[in-house]
Amino acid sequence: MSAPRVGIIAIGQSAFQRRRDDASYPDLVREAVNEALIGAQLELDDIEAIVYSLSPDAMVGIGNAERLGVDAVGGRGKRFLRINTGGATGISSVAAAYYHIAAGACDVVMTAGADKVGECGDSQTVLNKIWDPTYERPLPLGTITMLAMSGIRYADKYGMSEEDMARVVVKNRLHASLNPKAHLRQEVSVDEVMASRYISWPIKLMDCCPQSSGGGAMVLASEKYIKQNRLDAVWITGVGHCSETYYLGDRMGRGFTADHADAYALKHSFDRAYKMAGITDPVKQVDVAELYAPFSNTEYHSIEAAGLADLGGAVAGVNEGRFSIGGAIPVNPSGGVLCTNAIAVTAMIRVAEIALQVSGRAGTHQVKGAKLGIASGNGGDHQFFGTMVVEA
Amino acid sequence: MELLKRREAWNITYTHALGETASWFFVQIRDNARIYGRRCGKTGRVLVPPRAFSDQTLEPTTDWVEVGPGGRIETFTIVYEEFQNLPPPPYAFGYVMLDGADTAIGGFFKGVDLAEPAKAAEQLKVGTRVITKFAEQRKGDMLDFWFERG
Amino acid sequence: MALNRRIAVIGSAIMAPAAAQNQSLEELLYDIAQAAMKDAGLTADGIDGIVVASNDQFDGRAISVMAASGSVGGVDRDILSTPSASEHAFVMGVLRVASGQYETQLIVSWSPVEASSLSEAQRLGADPYFHRALPLDELSGAALQASAVLAARPEAIDLAARLSARNKANGRRAYPEAATSEAIGTKPRWPIAADMVAPPVLGAVAIVIASEDHVAKNGLKNVAWVRGMGWATEAGFLGDRDLAIAPALEEAARRAYAEAGLSDPRNELDVVELTDVSPYQELLAYEGLGLSGKQTWKDDVLSGVFDPGGSLPVNPSGGVAAINPVFCTGLIRIAEAARQVQGKAGRHQLDNAQTALGHAASGFAMMYQTVLVLGENKDGAAA
Repeated sequence: MSAPRVGIIAIGQSAFQRRRDDASYPDLVREAVNEALIGAQLELDDIEAIVYSLSPDAMVGIGNAERLGVDAVGGRGKRFLRINTGGATGISSVAAAYYHIAAGACDVVMTAGADKVGECGDSQTVLNKIWDPTYERPLPLGTITMLAMSGIRYADKYGMSEEDMARVVVKNRLHASLNPKAHLRQEVSVDEVMASRYISWPIKLMDCCPQSSGGGAMVLASEKYIKQNRLDAVWITGVGHCSETYYLGDRMGRGFTADHADAYALKHSFDRAYKMAGITDPVKQVDVAELYAPFSNTEYHSIEAAGLADLGGAVAGVNEGRFSIGGAIPVNPSGGVLCTNAIAVTAMIRVAEIALQVSGRAGTHQVKGAKLGIASGNGGDHQFFGTMVVEA
Repeated sequence: MELLKRREAWNITYTHALGETASWFFVQIRDNARIYGRRCGKTGRVLVPPRAFSDQTLEPTTDWVEVGPGGRIETFTIVYEEFQNLPPPPYAFGYVMLDGADTAIGGFFKGVDLAEPAKAAEQLKVGTRVITKFAEQRKGDMLDFWFERG
Repeated sequence: MALNRRIAVIGSAIMAPAAAQNQSLEELLYDIAQAAMKDAGLTADGIDGIVVASNDQFDGRAISVMAASGSVGGVDRDILSTPSASEHAFVMGVLRVASGQYETQLIVSWSPVEASSLSEAQRLGADPYFHRALPLDELSGAALQASAVLAARPEAIDLAARLSARNKANGRRAYPEAATSEAIGTKPRWPIAADMVAPPVLGAVAIVIASEDHVAKNGLKNVAWVRGMGWATEAGFLGDRDLAIAPALEEAARRAYAEAGLSDPRNELDVVELTDVSPYQELLAYEGLGLSGKQTWKDDVLSGVFDPGGSLPVNPSGGVAAINPVFCTGLIRIAEAARQVQGKAGRHQLDNAQTALGHAASGFAMMYQTVLVLGENKDGAAA
């Protein structure tokens, strides 16, 4: 059966920063909610249900911190639940809100959340605890080392250099300099990235995302509600999720389902979203993309998983400027995760930014004429992937 | 205005059951310095470290297979930054497909000078042959063994 | 507002308590998922998507859903998780099938006892700004709520004792090998007596749901239709609530009954499985569910309306008072209700249980409330 159309009618996001000592965790959520509601001239009473977007509790240091967020989102007496798929949480939350409406349960649903990664002593210490205590956690794994190991395999398979990684940083920092909401907004050169210190070979400091504080909120509505109230909206036309094995070591060797060099389940997730949206040739049909890539090297396999380049072909594409603002398919015109990462809402911001792009409201980082955009989120140990197609 | 902060630590310890499969595996490491995998009866893949079931076929694994001690590096990284509660840098670790195994197992790489990143990375590149080394005193865990070039 | 499609529970499995020593968490999850799929008569190939729920602080894993990826069949499949509550995974699964994008969903939740202190794990759920310094775990939340109920109705102290005895007797009948008469290891918290609360145990539960199309196409005869579903939350701070009432439950029940077309739940329901950390919460649930108000608690409880053989048996399984895998008790109630409708409840199966209510409550003092009306008859299944 064909699903009813669901639109995005409101968006709010903080100007992300390293710390926000002026605001508590729920204050940050409320900040994004207020921005979304005021922008769309909505009241909290208009919201029928809430999907709360929050990744690991330990990152904000509050168990089931969604309970503390209930009042920040005006949740009392309403339908309320929380989604967590690690880094993919934000896009999974938008998908969950989408399901509320597509199911016929609600006409207007809000998803919101916030993170204060800067308040967590050391996010890599927390993130080491995502691995199973039996086999993989005893290693000094963190998300940086995990994705450095992906980069090693990608480089071995396709020939990516450290300078190639640096060029992703240069592109995204330039984009972020145009986006007033981004956290790292200072332009950098290839030489500066190359001169930054090694964190986890081949990843250097400037190849890494920052730890950001801030909130995000989006309101979705049914086509009926949007038409009755004559609202401006952009439409979610494709939704996909896919996951892969928990064990990193199973993504290498022989007979694997997924190679840790690539993003196999992300590709399958995009396949599902594209099928739903009727996209058969993403290179021709996609105008703009916001792809979850917290480290420079991972943008390459994400571009390929989205079908915007052949396997191994993204490096040449970035070098040629195809994925820069002004290029054929700008990727991460907001600056992306590389410039802003408030984990609980990072993947939501990917969808929000695409919604802004296809509605022509992205301001100084607007991609001219963008009508169809895609967004993605990655979570767990490169394990849970969510994707979305948004159209004007 | 004066903005206050509060420091909070979480303090819970966990005693995780490892189950029969991992227990047997760790006992072999502890008592005999041998590494075993479990074979998936349906595909023949040998899962190392051993799992009670294959997450590809969702079938229980069927038998034990000894693997290693030689193997090839599947991926690695060299860490130069200090992280709270993780080892002091620099250190190298990654994944090795042991001879006879179809999946890779994690461990530290030792015996490589890590002072110069690019030089060290060349010593550990994907495909490099390594041998498993065992500690003299073994507790039955993942850090009882590591890999060296050879 | 109605759902776009009818949905049914087609299979389930409950393992509580599960043997705590001989399996890793991943192995337990593999077993529970396989058991539920077997009960539903399908394999992982027949599962379109998965929704799981777990608690990071209970599990000692920072993103505890990750353990479910391979073990419940998530490789190359689609997984979401709802760590707010086990029952929210069921809600999410129903919404996903109703959206038309999926024909089936596997729903899994679990609750280990590997933490040095579950009480401490719960206390971390108190915000660090105003409440962390208080000894606020779930039992304390329940005790504060019990105290409020008692202040409103002093006779509740006797009714609670009676309900507690009945639930434990039900538990011994339903799960003689598992239900424990052992009280929690901690001191009681007034007015909750130590023997009113079962100790936390390892548990897991899985449910398979499917669309009406799937049920028809596969000729499934014995399913439990989701006739009505409601869920709502209370405010975040206990101090903002009147703990002697349960407005979120009233709202959840209102929605579920409206969808199911129930106007007189006490007479139209055949069995209720509700979530009660203490018997005081059970009294409150009677009121929130519209089964018995504060004024009638005494008459109804003493006359045995909700006892075995009464007109509306409550918790024939014994409920949380008998077996308490803390985080997944809500989803277990929904599974128990579905199994009653399917005639699969085992020793505690009721005769002619055509319409069952599954109630779940989670968070401090029943913060999240969820109500499912399940039926043999699919009328009202999409309201």
